Amino acid sequence: MPAPESLFWVAAVTIGIWIGIFLYCLSLERRLSKLEEETP
Amino acid sequence: MNLLIESFTILRKELTSELRSRVAVSSVGLFALTTLVAVAYQIGPYRIHEQDRPHLHAALLWIIVFFAASSGLPRVFVKEEDAHTAKSLRLAARPGAVFAGKFLFNLVLLLGLEAFLVPLFAVFMGFSVANLPALVLVLVAGALGLASSATMVAAIISRATGSATLFVVLSVPLVLPMLVFLIQGTRTAATVPELSALLPSLRAVVSLTGVTLVSSAFLFPVVWHD
Amino acid sequence: MTKTKKASLALLFLWFCVVIWAAFFYAPKAAGFKGESSRIVFFHVPQAWVAVLAFCVNLVASLRYLRHRNLLDDARAAAAARLGLLFAVLATVSGSLFAKVMWGSFWNWDPREVSIAILLLIYAAYFALRQAVSDPERRGSLAAAYAILAFVTMPFLVFVVPRIYWSLHPDTIISAQGSVKVQMHPRMFQVLVGSLLGFTGLFWWLYSLEVRLSRLRLRREEGGE
Repeated sequence: MPAPESLFWVAAVTIGIWIGIFLYCLSLERRLSKLEEETP
Repeated sequence: MNLLIESFTILRKELTSELRSRVAVSSVGLFALTTLVAVAYQIGPYRIHEQDRPHLHAALLWIIVFFAASSGLPRVFVKEEDAHTAKSLRLAARPGAVFAGKFLFNLVLLLGLEAFLVPLFAVFMGFSVANLPALVLVLVAGALGLASSATMVAAIISRATGSATLFVVLSVPLVLPMLVFLIQGTRTAATVPELSALLPSLRAVVSLTGVTLVSSAFLFPVVWHD
Repeated sequence: MTKTKKASLALLFLWFCVVIWAAFFYAPKAAGFKGESSRIVFFHVPQAWVAVLAFCVNLVASLRYLRHRNLLDDARAAAAARLGLLFAVLATVSGSLFAKVMWGSFWNWDPREVSIAILLLIYAAYFALRQAVSDPERRGSLAAAYAILAFVTMPFLVFVVPRIYWSLHPDTIISAQGSVKVQMHPRMFQVLVGSLLGFTGLFWWLYSLEVRLSRLRLRREEGGE
């Protein structure tokens, strides 16, 4: 377990933020594709 | 040649209607006067340290000029929309002439404002100038620059709702670089007797004005006819 | 979703994970900076770059709108401006945090800080103008005219002002050895370029999402009438 002030945790939080952004955009992508199919 | 005559016809029309109503002149003049009195009453000639004076005076002067101008300059187009005369003006004159005429009118208004404000500012604030011709150059360049962007922004906002507040919002980001150079130039004119020290800021103001005028010439017909 | 789209999104996801890892563990820290603060460059510079890129996309879409009068181009311009505003805010915040660590205060009126502040003001004014016009076609042309006018005065701020005034800002060349005007450490350079590519990809994805949404909206409005 790295020390609490280590860079490891900064990197982990940054990657966590990135995963959050990515998943959010992915869900938008899905919803948009669905809407595009519904709209003629 | 024809375009020039047309522009001056528009300018004459603006001047005669302004002489009749005096709305722009009185709002700009009164705004400048009240702001100057408020500032000068609180600061006066001796409140500021000798070495800080050129900095603060230059900034205060241009703040007063810009905001006083923003109370009157947008009127050139806003009043046409308010009075529903824009349509007939669109038919009567080419867009280039309309823009040039309105720009010249705003230029006259700004030069008048500066001629009225700067001597009073010098008296009330103890603003001393090392190189008077340099200051005059800065003021003329500033009037040209502010008039060019103000006329274009006025044309844009007159077609939107809530124009009065929108003018300041839209023109501040466009005018801010110019104001920075104008303040710098004014400070130089107030402290350095040589004219050559003024060149960098004057060049920046003149080229910004040129860029604004050229792009306005292309964009104005779009805004005007839509 | 097509196969290539899926593959490119997966690539983008992994790319960013690698960039973030590399920013903290692969790249050395630059000399002359407090602690690990120089690592923010891998996120701050790409954010500022995307803000400028969005400004350019906005210009192109505005010019296209004025030429073809297609409302979708206006929607493109607005989408680019929205993203540009978002990334400009991010760049301002990350730069401000770095300034606090390095120079002791969040805001120093550094020329680059002034230019990003004006970029933010321009975007804000752009949206204020859009909100004040109800007719979509007039809104498009007025906003396009303002965007073009703002774009032509912007280079003065970005290129002229920082050269006239003294700047605190680290030059584009940061050295790992601490001597001035030496090339940036190759590893830092690699990570920075990787991050720039990643952020550009992310911008493009967000932008295409926005544009598809506007296209849908326009199509629905047409269908509703």
